[in-house]
Amino acid sequence: MDGYIYNWNVVWDSLPELQQGLIITLQISIVGMALAIIFGLTFAMGRMSNYGYVKKFSTGVVNFARSIPLFVLLFWIYYGLSLKFAINLTAFQAGAIALGITGGAYMAEVFRGGIEAIDLGQREAALAIGLSSSKAFTLVVLPQAIRIIVPQGVNVYVGLLKGATIVSVIGVADMIYVAQYISLNSFTPFEMYSAVGIAFISLTLSVAGLAYLLERRLNRSSANV
Amino acid sequence: MSNSQPFFDFAPIWQSRVLLIEGFGIAMFSAVAGIILAIILGLIIALMRLSRFKILRGFAFIYTQLFRGVPLYVLILWIYFGLVYAVGIDIPRIPSGIIALALLNSGYLSETFRSGILAVSNGQREAGQALGLKGWQVARYIILPQAGRIVIPPTGNQFIDAIKDSAILSIIGVPELMKVAQEQANLFYRPFEFYTVAGLLYLVAVLIVSRGITALENRLAKYSRKSGSSENSVVTTATTDASH
Repeated sequence: MDGYIYNWNVVWDSLPELQQGLIITLQISIVGMALAIIFGLTFAMGRMSNYGYVKKFSTGVVNFARSIPLFVLLFWIYYGLSLKFAINLTAFQAGAIALGITGGAYMAEVFRGGIEAIDLGQREAALAIGLSSSKAFTLVVLPQAIRIIVPQGVNVYVGLLKGATIVSVIGVADMIYVAQYISLNSFTPFEMYSAVGIAFISLTLSVAGLAYLLERRLNRSSANV
Repeated sequence: MSNSQPFFDFAPIWQSRVLLIEGFGIAMFSAVAGIILAIILGLIIALMRLSRFKILRGFAFIYTQLFRGVPLYVLILWIYFGLVYAVGIDIPRIPSGIIALALLNSGYLSETFRSGILAVSNGQREAGQALGLKGWQVARYIILPQAGRIVIPPTGNQFIDAIKDSAILSIIGVPELMKVAQEQANLFYRPFEFYTVAGLLYLVAVLIVSRGITALENRLAKYSRKSGSSENSVVTTATTDASH
């Protein structure tokens, strides 16, 4: 096998297809993140509820969702659920839901951590000056909690972005799917997977960079208040 | 589905129990081997990042960024299929998977270890030197025992992630739990039942490990003066990486 001739031209030639795949990866991760935010907020509220059984149930769901591998969840939803109950989900929908459940479990912890980090005195002060309970939350607690939630939320998103690569196993035509297809035909798996790896590293690093800028901005606005 | 078949049928699971248990064993073996290698690699990289030499620091920084940024799926494909073609190194399935798990987790663990070492106050080192201990003795008896306690919860979380990640090894044909579940699900045409059981087995493994780590933390908390660490049990501490 020595004297392997690297064929990087294949990567350049397949850039349009890879770009298509990248767009699918971004789409599915964004839909998954939107679901994760809804799911996470719901169960974070549940975990902070005054009702014992709501609290226990929410805690159970979050721990359950965090303990099941995304890969298993994906197969369970796509092949298991849809076959058993005749819910005909597309691969994209199943992938987004699986990402939403996994991400949601992490987001629930992020929301809860952010909200609980705000001193109770803030809420009491808001109530003391006559704000209603909901206004005290939306005008006083939430704006402060957001500063803690956003950077961690971006970390969860980076995780989902990386997790989104496995949706190709159920046939979503993402970047990996394209890379697999092309490398099978041209016998250049090394080049194709290196290219995908580099694309992902630059993607996650730029999202992390954006998060850093955002965090600095949020902290600056807090200093002015 | 024909009408004569029951809606839920867990009998095939019982028939394939030996295969499932074997798969579960291989999954756990891969996760344990992967995390042990990752701890060794992570410690080396962490020490390199704290080194005096700029080249070592630079290398360790790039290493960390590289393996924290790349998805496990890509890394596995790259090692198992890519390296065979390009470099001619033919690594069997299970070692390929273990190497991928080790590299990925070492990127995260090196950052954990670095912050753990930095978290031990400088006064501790100085006090050790003032007592006449040598450099390695300060590291061995003063810094590492204290840093060790700090890094146990995040390392435990990483181990849990490795257990969950091991399911992805099925894509290169490692005969672990998920691969067995896929094969048996296709054989009996019972995907719901097999994936449910596979999910529950991973759940049980994760719960046992997280309980074990919490117990370990509480045990070690006895020896430390600030014993507040027992509150951050593994289940309640949010890891912010959802890629698993």
